[in-house]
Amino acid sequence: MDDQNLPDDETLVRRTQDGDTRAFDLLWQKYSPRIYALIYNMTANHDDANDLLLEIFAKAYRSINGFRGKSSFYTWIHAIAVNMTINFVKKRGRRFQMSLDDLDANVQNDKEFIDLTATNTPIREVDLAELQQRLNEAMMKLSVEHRAVVTMFDIQGMPHAEIAKILGIPEATVRSRLFYAHRQLQNYLEEFRKK
Amino acid sequence: MMLDDQQLRKLLRLKRYEQPPPGYFERALEEFHRRQRAELLRRSGIQAWFERFASGVWSFRVPTYAYGAAFAAFVLAATIIGSGVWPPFTQTVDTASDLPSVATNPGNRLALSGNLDWSKFYPSLASPRVVPTLRPSQTALPRYVLDGRPVSYKASFSF
Repeated sequence: MDDQNLPDDETLVRRTQDGDTRAFDLLWQKYSPRIYALIYNMTANHDDANDLLLEIFAKAYRSINGFRGKSSFYTWIHAIAVNMTINFVKKRGRRFQMSLDDLDANVQNDKEFIDLTATNTPIREVDLAELQQRLNEAMMKLSVEHRAVVTMFDIQGMPHAEIAKILGIPEATVRSRLFYAHRQLQNYLEEFRKK
Repeated sequence: MMLDDQQLRKLLRLKRYEQPPPGYFERALEEFHRRQRAELLRRSGIQAWFERFASGVWSFRVPTYAYGAAFAAFVLAATIIGSGVWPPFTQTVDTASDLPSVATNPGNRLALSGNLDWSKFYPSLASPRVVPTLRPSQTALPRYVLDGRPVSYKASFSF
């Protein structure tokens, strides 16, 4: 079933609470790519992201009877995902290896990619794989809380208010974290350029 | 030259193109189902029942109409009782003929307790309603207590 034709979240959650496992599969279909991207960009490791994705949905399934609908299902499952991923990354520490997903070939046709590589920017002469590697290394130097905010805002395009709800922090804190993270990323990428 | 904020954001947005292999989410869903089934088998029936019960208790919500219905029932009951249509606590009067033979049988009186003043329970015109409800059994044997020790407890082989 196409995502556009799926019933709304409220209906799917109610059906799941009534014991319809097929409804939960539809919630998986709808949200697993977004949740995976969130975890993947916070962990920079496909295998870790895969394990966490399964654990997060298992936790959501176990807890769904306690879901009262005070927030949207979207916010609720993202909050579970962010909290579990932050805990995981803190436990994992610095000893890990990046295991990156391949870049979709369509990136070559992306207007922003063309702009970035066409103009006089520090990344002009860097090939795609190296660019991906550099960017991910820079991301991994951020604290996991800052990485979460950058992932949700810059990569996933969520508004500040939504991020604030997911993290349970004021919007001003989201903005300040973003500002600080951008400055740090700029500095890290500048260091790469000098090498 | 340093990346400006706009360029950095464009660069970050390109990370959306980092995608897992095709068919990954379908396979992951199958793995999710497999783990769910394994977990169900691992958990005992009691655990599963307790979890269902606990989640049922936590998710129990009193429907809003229940408050109105309860109040309406209370008002209805108060009206019926208050108007005297149905007096719920009418007392039944026992006549002297209903009294048990215990009152007139001294043997049975003794079987209950020697100190009980049965004259209080004799039927009279002034207070005919109080009736002892405890009746001695016709087959019960009288027990006598001497110096606080039942006679029947006397050891048969005491020398």
